[in-house]
Amino acid sequence: MLKNGKVKALSLSVLVSLAFANTAHAQVTDEDISQDHLSTDQVVTSGMGLKGQRYSTLETINTSTVEDIRPVWSFSLGGEKQRGQESQPMIKNGVMFVTGSYSRVFAIDARTGDELWQYDARLPDGIMPCCDVINRGVALYGDLVIFGTLDAKLVALNKDTGKVVWKKTVEDYKAGYSISAAPIIVKGNVITGIAGGEFGVVGKVRAYNATNGDLVWERPTVEGHMGYLVKDGKKLENGISGGAPGKTWPADLWKTGGAAPWLGGTYDVDTDLLFFGTGNPSPWNSHLRPGDNYFSSSRLAINPDTGEIVWHFQTTPNDGWDYDGVNEVISFDYDDKGKTIKAAATADRNGFFYVLNRENGDFIRGFPFVDKITWAKGLDVNGKPIYDEAHRPGNPMASADGNKGSSVMTAPSFLGGKNWQPMAYSQDTGLFYVPSNEWEMEIWNEPVAYKKGAAYLGAGFTIQSLNEEYIGVLRAIDPKTGETVWRYNNYAPLWGGVLATAGNLVFTGNPEGYLLAFNAKTGEQLYKFNTGSGIVGSPVTWEMDGEQYISVLSGWGGAVPLWGGEVAKRIKDLNQGGSVWTFKLPKKYAEVSSIAKN
Amino acid sequence: MWSLLLPMSKIVACLYVVITVLCCKVQASSLEDIIEAKEIVIAVYRDYAPFSAQVDGVAVGIDIDIARHIAKTLQVELRLKWITAGETTEDDLRNSIWKGHFLDKTKADVMMRVPYDKVYSQKRDDVGLLVHELVHMFAPYHTETWKIVFNKQKIEEVSTMAVFQYHPVGVEVDSIPQFYLISAFRGSMSKNTHQFPTIVAAVGGMQAGEVDAVMGLRSQITALHHTLNQVQYQLAENAFPLIGKQKWDIGLAVHNDYRALAYELGDIITAMIKDQTMADIFKTHHSTYEQPAYYM
Repeated sequence: MLKNGKVKALSLSVLVSLAFANTAHAQVTDEDISQDHLSTDQVVTSGMGLKGQRYSTLETINTSTVEDIRPVWSFSLGGEKQRGQESQPMIKNGVMFVTGSYSRVFAIDARTGDELWQYDARLPDGIMPCCDVINRGVALYGDLVIFGTLDAKLVALNKDTGKVVWKKTVEDYKAGYSISAAPIIVKGNVITGIAGGEFGVVGKVRAYNATNGDLVWERPTVEGHMGYLVKDGKKLENGISGGAPGKTWPADLWKTGGAAPWLGGTYDVDTDLLFFGTGNPSPWNSHLRPGDNYFSSSRLAINPDTGEIVWHFQTTPNDGWDYDGVNEVISFDYDDKGKTIKAAATADRNGFFYVLNRENGDFIRGFPFVDKITWAKGLDVNGKPIYDEAHRPGNPMASADGNKGSSVMTAPSFLGGKNWQPMAYSQDTGLFYVPSNEWEMEIWNEPVAYKKGAAYLGAGFTIQSLNEEYIGVLRAIDPKTGETVWRYNNYAPLWGGVLATAGNLVFTGNPEGYLLAFNAKTGEQLYKFNTGSGIVGSPVTWEMDGEQYISVLSGWGGAVPLWGGEVAKRIKDLNQGGSVWTFKLPKKYAEVSSIAKN
Repeated sequence: MWSLLLPMSKIVACLYVVITVLCCKVQASSLEDIIEAKEIVIAVYRDYAPFSAQVDGVAVGIDIDIARHIAKTLQVELRLKWITAGETTEDDLRNSIWKGHFLDKTKADVMMRVPYDKVYSQKRDDVGLLVHELVHMFAPYHTETWKIVFNKQKIEEVSTMAVFQYHPVGVEVDSIPQFYLISAFRGSMSKNTHQFPTIVAAVGGMQAGEVDAVMGLRSQITALHHTLNQVQYQLAENAFPLIGKQKWDIGLAVHNDYRALAYELGDIITAMIKDQTMADIFKTHHSTYEQPAYYM
């Protein structure tokens, strides 16, 4: 029954895409964006749908045909600037839009791989991005291609020419702000977070009119800061985040509280809510800020029209481990004894997987998705961690006498059970496919430290693998039971996104350079192809001229190569790169599959 | 820098030009190269008065004056490389001295305001290797410590830190004064501690009446004090019990390959200290000078 319906929908979409092959609507509409999770002939949202499920109904490439896919073109991002390529390709009307390291955007003919235009943001030499010079992709709206730059600007380019239509300074890069996430577009507004180091920034989510870049609202993600809503060109006060300052912070530390929403957000149309995650609180030493430190290391549900915080769920209160709570919140429904549960799932840096009620943020269940967690003994009935204080890094003031102080071993490492790399949810298997890592960290107080010529108290750390054979683990997780249905172990840490398809397939890439395909139900590896450099981007699939395509960026980098110790040893021979690889089946498969459908 | 100024081009010839221009600035230079090229590149912090800042496009400050004196003595032109401070000095040494800036890979020949601290320069990483293997730190040129400036109309006297159980005090975010005031003495000064993005902003907060005192680097606090009403605002003479490192020395750094350059610069700094040039530079900027023990 279901199968039939899907085939019909599919063949209809083939017909439509054929009929409109040359005259398809060139503009990206609100309808395109809100229906992106259903459309097969384009990819116009980061996450392949606003919910971020990264699931496609396409099934021409499936468990029996995937071994025959082959590259049809490869595109080099060129230059000496070959650093981490964490972008997700977007495809509209036969044109692919990708971003590259150093805030570059490329428009590529999706059929041939020919470059149509390239835009290079002119970056000031004063920028200090924390973790490589990466970018995670564009947003599309109307005839605009919109992306955030390392110097914290939003830039809207004309999709045909690559020329700047509008440009907006979101924050001052000199104060330590930058943008690396792909913005999202909801109801005509482009919505972005910001990234920032430990320089006492205050996280904010902002909405701009996508057409002209005018500010619509802004919402600080730290308790005590005023939010704003723009009406008739005037910026009006719209309520203090959390009601009042200082409720969960000592002194006036809320003024410089951090909590940068650096990974962007998702949107759910059913509840009409935006979901943004927030980073760790500032300063890094948790002993200075007893209290929960709202809304650091949390997930926030935000009203897309006004920017008001509707609910929040904090994964790591009083974070002392740098467990940013930025990871994506994916909306999904499941059946519980005949009742549909409107849920949302998120896999945190802290090693726990959370299933929340997305209407009100209530905790439904949570469970570890990595093999080892030591900082908490578990979660209580409300999803709050039960700390193991023996695994909280010490207070550096305690070692002000110049001694190193005791060191603490904690799992997972601050790079997380899962970092930025987005997971996928398959509507067919009901499983989440989580790119996770098995590593721990040692942290000690470092009294011999300096900052700008001033004595300083820092923290020393090292990251260690938990196993000789692997760090990365791609897991298929059942959100209803917490059960890991299958796992694939990878020698290097996994740092790329995941894609699930109706062809019973799961795709991801690894730092070793391979695009990998697995049987979604069993985890059997069915395909691998070496793209020449590490994959830290997110694969996508779409249909063009009746054929199913897969695309992924290749180019090793991101935060992992920046950290030393044992992990560095494991990845030191991986070569940098910068290219887009596009795959499909030989043409005869398209003919066979279209005959089968008719 | 050059690569940013040139428009992006796919013309191979143009790329060639970019690469050739870059090649000569990608490496720090030896003393011979500096003398021959008649140019030395010295890295200084951006927006960091009274050490190094730009006022209407003109470089001013203590470190700038020292850099100018170095260039003059070597009879070469001075080129400044302005650095944005990273989270710790390790980042700055990497970006300025041994690896180069992550955008254009350029390095400086010398970096100012680097700690001169044996324990720091010999620090080992988690696998036992020297953290600063590629950096040579030398020529201490002054001794730094902490200092408090306070509003006499609000506080009679700062004889001990205990007064900050009762009076609000400003600090720079993510600094030892912040850690100290929030956590020392069982956090009894914590509720009176106010964070500001910079010491300059904290002193502005004191003038605006938000705080009654500011704690920061002595050379910065004393220079800022000079700009204030000297009757209303005074420098405190209190001690800072429980702070591990009460004083430390500030010097220069070069790439470890260029020891000859370091010897030459070391001689220049020694001469500046012996003939009072160094003390005079600090005096010009109304900043307290203390000579490092190294020269005594």
